[in-house]
Amino acid sequence: MFSLALKNILFYRGRSITTFVLTFFSALMFIVYVALMDGSHGSMLKNALKVYTGAIEIYKKGYREEGGNDYLIEDVASVEKVLSKVEGISDYTSRYETYGLLSSKDRSTAAMVAGIEPQKERKLSELYSTLVSGEYLSENSGNCLYAGVDLVKKLQVKLGDEVSFVGSASDNSFAADLFKLCGTFRTGAFEFDSTAAFLSRSYFDELMYAKNKASYITIRLDDLNKVDAVNEEIIKHLDSQYESVTWKVLMKSMVQAMQVDSIFGYISIVLFFVVIFFVIMIFGFINVSSRVREFGTLRSIGLTRGKIRLLLFNEIFILSTTAILLATPIGAYIAYYFSLHPFVMEGISETYKDYGVVSDEIPLAFNLFTISWNVAVIYLLNFLSIIYPIRYINAFKPVEASHHV
Amino acid sequence: MIQLTDVQKYFYRGESREVHALKNINLTIEKGEFSLLNGPSGCGKTTLLNAIGALDSVDSGKIYLDEKEITTLSEDERTLLRLNEMGFVFQSYNLVPVLSVEENIGFIMKLRGFDDDVIKNRVHEVAELLEIENKLQSLPNTLSGGQQQRVAVARAVASKPKIILADEPTANLDSKNSIALMNMMRRLNEEEGVTILFASHDEYVIESVRRIIKLNDGGIVED
Repeated sequence: MFSLALKNILFYRGRSITTFVLTFFSALMFIVYVALMDGSHGSMLKNALKVYTGAIEIYKKGYREEGGNDYLIEDVASVEKVLSKVEGISDYTSRYETYGLLSSKDRSTAAMVAGIEPQKERKLSELYSTLVSGEYLSENSGNCLYAGVDLVKKLQVKLGDEVSFVGSASDNSFAADLFKLCGTFRTGAFEFDSTAAFLSRSYFDELMYAKNKASYITIRLDDLNKVDAVNEEIIKHLDSQYESVTWKVLMKSMVQAMQVDSIFGYISIVLFFVVIFFVIMIFGFINVSSRVREFGTLRSIGLTRGKIRLLLFNEIFILSTTAILLATPIGAYIAYYFSLHPFVMEGISETYKDYGVVSDEIPLAFNLFTISWNVAVIYLLNFLSIIYPIRYINAFKPVEASHHV
Repeated sequence: MIQLTDVQKYFYRGESREVHALKNINLTIEKGEFSLLNGPSGCGKTTLLNAIGALDSVDSGKIYLDEKEITTLSEDERTLLRLNEMGFVFQSYNLVPVLSVEENIGFIMKLRGFDDDVIKNRVHEVAELLEIENKLQSLPNTLSGGQQQRVAVARAVASKPKIILADEPTANLDSKNSIALMNMMRRLNEEEGVTILFASHDEYVIESVRRIIKLNDGGIVED
């Protein structure tokens, strides 16, 4: 049957070339399209997590809903002791965030002022690398303020200028101080750049009476794909007054945006597949219906319906396997190449700046598992497309088929 | 060898019976016969041949091949019966266009699982008998009608079936080719002992056969 199928393929070249070309391009496009979709999501996520949000963050229960001093982590050291035992965590640091009023000589604005551990923070976020002017913080930078460029613009201050702060300390007492603007940053996320300012915790803790306290602890992982497993491990060891949540919860809107994007992406793919499926099926059907007499002869001289089925499956198997074997390495190479050399889409970071995207580069995701299931889907489609033509041809009685015009 | 008892066949259009194609056919064909179903167009020759060849079902009656009833077999069982017990020669040759002459002749043997060496020897033997040994590597569409029909006969006979059913085998051939084909088929019948049943109204076939079964309006009128 296999050799007869091969001969049929060579004999009926028109149908063979059409099926081959359609399968080749659909496999190639599918691999590249999914790699692009996964790559852009991966890039969006990587960017977003790089800026400020951690892969996992630990809060005292209630902080995320209510906020404020009643829900601070009161013993950072004990939580950090737990984290030091969990595998898969590369770095962590605590942050103390508060909201207060920042004022310059002429302007004032509400802002999120946070005490951070400057050296640890370097490994966890892009605050350091997004420096625009002045300098980043250090453990001994005292009352140096490191503020977003848009916040600085609002306050109309320049490096070296004093900015006053009024807020509420961790014990709810009045807290006020004068900071000096030492550096500015720009992440590209407008909301963040226009409201956030940072100080070294060693100084800020004194002012806020926040030693060993934190709003939350942010965590970076060795492998982001293991976020759920690591989070479960943390939860297992964590005191019940705390909660550990992943980026999927912290960045719900981005996750939703990615999901919507994925849904539309897959709808496009499904529509694309429907078209491909019917085109292959129609060509298969035309081919089979033009060979009714031939199949009638084959049935008359002793080919069972099962053998006819096998013959047509062999034909589609040879065609789709050849096309896929050619398309897969090409598609995989394209995905691999652009995973290393992302292409640049001007303005994409502007579009997604709310999610913290700071780059116009979109890499393709190179994942052999994804490529494998992409190829399996194309394979399956090809085999499904031959079912109707097989049913059509096998519905004929041999004598009808032999006399078919 | 073949026995038909009270075989009836109708052709339907919708629910109503349109044509009574075979009427109470009772017929016996013995092993080694060289026989003809003869009669005017539309008398039921091909319908009867198709019924005997298990290509088509009948509405009543029984058909036996070597005492095995074939009218009750399933579609796939009938296909296997044709493969193992019968050979067919069609009016329009019905060769497989993608296979060479050699592959066409050996195709049924291949389906039946013969060894390649056995197939090759038998194909050459039959091709020599039918004088097409120099065309073995050709594709069917490069042959004349007479040559194609000889390939069809070779394919039918190669696997040594119990019976060969030939439906108007000379209809598309000129007189010279018709005579040559019938001579070859008679030789096959005599030398290989193959039972051959024709359905035809061609004079060359009538002149060649040893038994003529005449049909009219779906019934046997003379034997």
